[in-house]
Amino acid sequence: MKTDLTSNAGGQMSAEALRALVDEKAGSLDPRIYHDREIYELELERIFARSWLYLCHESQLKKPGDFFATYMAEDPVLVVRQKDGSLRAFLNQCRHRGMRICRADCGNARAFTCSYHGWGYDIAGNLVSVPHEEDGYRNELDKSKWAPLQVPRIDTYHGLVFGTWNENAPSFHDYLGDMLWYMDGYFDRTAGGTEVIGGMHRWVLKCNWKFAAEQFCSDMYHADFSHLSALIAQLPEGVDPSMGRLPTIGKQFSSRNGHGTGFFTEVTSTTSQLNGPVAAAWYQGVHRQEAIRRVGEPRGSQIFGGHMTVFPTFSFLPGIQTLRVWHPRGPGEIEVWAWALVDRDAPFEVKEAVRLGVLRTFSAGGIFEQDDGENWLEIQKVLRGHMARRQRLNVTMGLGHATTEHPTMPGKLNNVYGEEAARGFYRQWAQMISGEI
Amino acid sequence: MSARAATEPGRDPQTRGCVTPELQQEIEQFLYHESRILDERKFEEWYQLLADDLHYFMPTRYNRLKREADKEFSGPTEAAFFDEDKKSIAQRIRRLNTGMAWAEDPPSRTRHTVSNVVIHPRGNGEYEVDCYYLLYRSRLEREVEFFVGMRHDVLRRNSSPAGFQLARRTIILDQTVLLARNLSFFF
Repeated sequence: MKTDLTSNAGGQMSAEALRALVDEKAGSLDPRIYHDREIYELELERIFARSWLYLCHESQLKKPGDFFATYMAEDPVLVVRQKDGSLRAFLNQCRHRGMRICRADCGNARAFTCSYHGWGYDIAGNLVSVPHEEDGYRNELDKSKWAPLQVPRIDTYHGLVFGTWNENAPSFHDYLGDMLWYMDGYFDRTAGGTEVIGGMHRWVLKCNWKFAAEQFCSDMYHADFSHLSALIAQLPEGVDPSMGRLPTIGKQFSSRNGHGTGFFTEVTSTTSQLNGPVAAAWYQGVHRQEAIRRVGEPRGSQIFGGHMTVFPTFSFLPGIQTLRVWHPRGPGEIEVWAWALVDRDAPFEVKEAVRLGVLRTFSAGGIFEQDDGENWLEIQKVLRGHMARRQRLNVTMGLGHATTEHPTMPGKLNNVYGEEAARGFYRQWAQMISGEI
Repeated sequence: MSARAATEPGRDPQTRGCVTPELQQEIEQFLYHESRILDERKFEEWYQLLADDLHYFMPTRYNRLKREADKEFSGPTEAAFFDEDKKSIAQRIRRLNTGMAWAEDPPSRTRHTVSNVVIHPRGNGEYEVDCYYLLYRSRLEREVEFFVGMRHDVLRRNSSPAGFQLARRTIILDQTVLLARNLSFFF
């Protein structure tokens, strides 16, 4: 499906110039993709309005009327559990003057009433009541034509709820493609399924969304250096700091739709103990046995310690169990919204261990996450420089060494320390932004 | 956690009468001392002020309609910004000392200001101490952040030179979306 390049967003750069921002064959990037407002406005239209975006986890919305106010890029969206158990999502915008219909983050509602003139909506997003309908509007307002925009496509995958504005988008399963095989290995491990720990972490980072999304897609490389202090701090007292190093053997997968994941295939205590011994015992015991039965090997026990991104902004760290979406807020800012994912059937002590492990490692105060923000924010500041924006950046690690002939793992694979998935991520980005796809 | 529980722990108003000006001053001086050593990055010295059964807790916070105001703060088994014991605090300090904790190397400049100190003796040498805090952080060339809120501490009298140990700290932040790059420091 081609994009209409006559649109009014941005519009100064030609399709050829946009496509040339990324050269995945040579492994280089134009840093303007992180900085330019014009490119950002195009992203909202050509990437975020057309891709499958993460909305919430089903376990956040248990009862009819339970709602969660989230965003699809910059667009505020209400996701609401319906009386028949289904989910609906609609733009959190009153069609009268555009006021935000619901200003609470979450809760339970029987209806939503706009605080400006009192237009009332049911939980499905239908406009059902309008003050002064008789004397003001003379009964001439067709309420069925003035409901907030519905998200036309919603799909749920093992509890994860995604939506897209794009009526012509492929199904979510087709969108995942070969990535589905890897994600089943992360999300379909137990019959009871998953849930998120209540509450969430939300914080602001003054950096472009692609630094975060790409790193979780493709970057095992940084972990050993950016996070070395945390890896050492987690070692028991007196243990040699060299024990804090990560394993070296593993794979990275790059999807043709821009998704990516990487993981180790050798077990070490460093990667399996991040959430402490109680969680490790569960994931290496009952959980693992069930996973081997459900998804077989190598996904049951031989793939772990991973990272992943579903293009563009949904990321997860399997094993560590932090789940997040990177909401863009202009070219130089994001909001991180993050949850801890646990097995629904896990004992309370295991859920507690994961909750504590996640908040202590990957959250605004987490000893791992702190250093990621430091890197991304400083890059963003450097890119204020005119000359800095003219230096193409290097994405060549492992270039030309991908294979597609693994006996069990589908798709394009490369070494766990590599940038195959980054090249795939930016290729997808460049194809969408230039109107190629 | 309800908003009320988070901001006003239940207590007997009669106990206010037991707080002498001397006790008030003694506890305020302890808080000032603690602020000072945190701002001077003497984290090992600060660690010595922590009780072995420390609970250091900072819930997350949400915009809720008034009818659901009791759910404004995350509960005890939900997502928190901090939910620490003495061991996990030790880990955080150990990280800062590796020389590779990039988020704090070069270090942030912090200034912990406390005021509105209200003391409720619990008996047995323990005191519930509430205060308002204003924490300023400046980082690298021109990063500036303000954190404003309330703390509920439990101090326990002991024989150390500081006079007290910190046994409980609940940190209430007056933000929902955290307007900061990280929480790489202590409140």
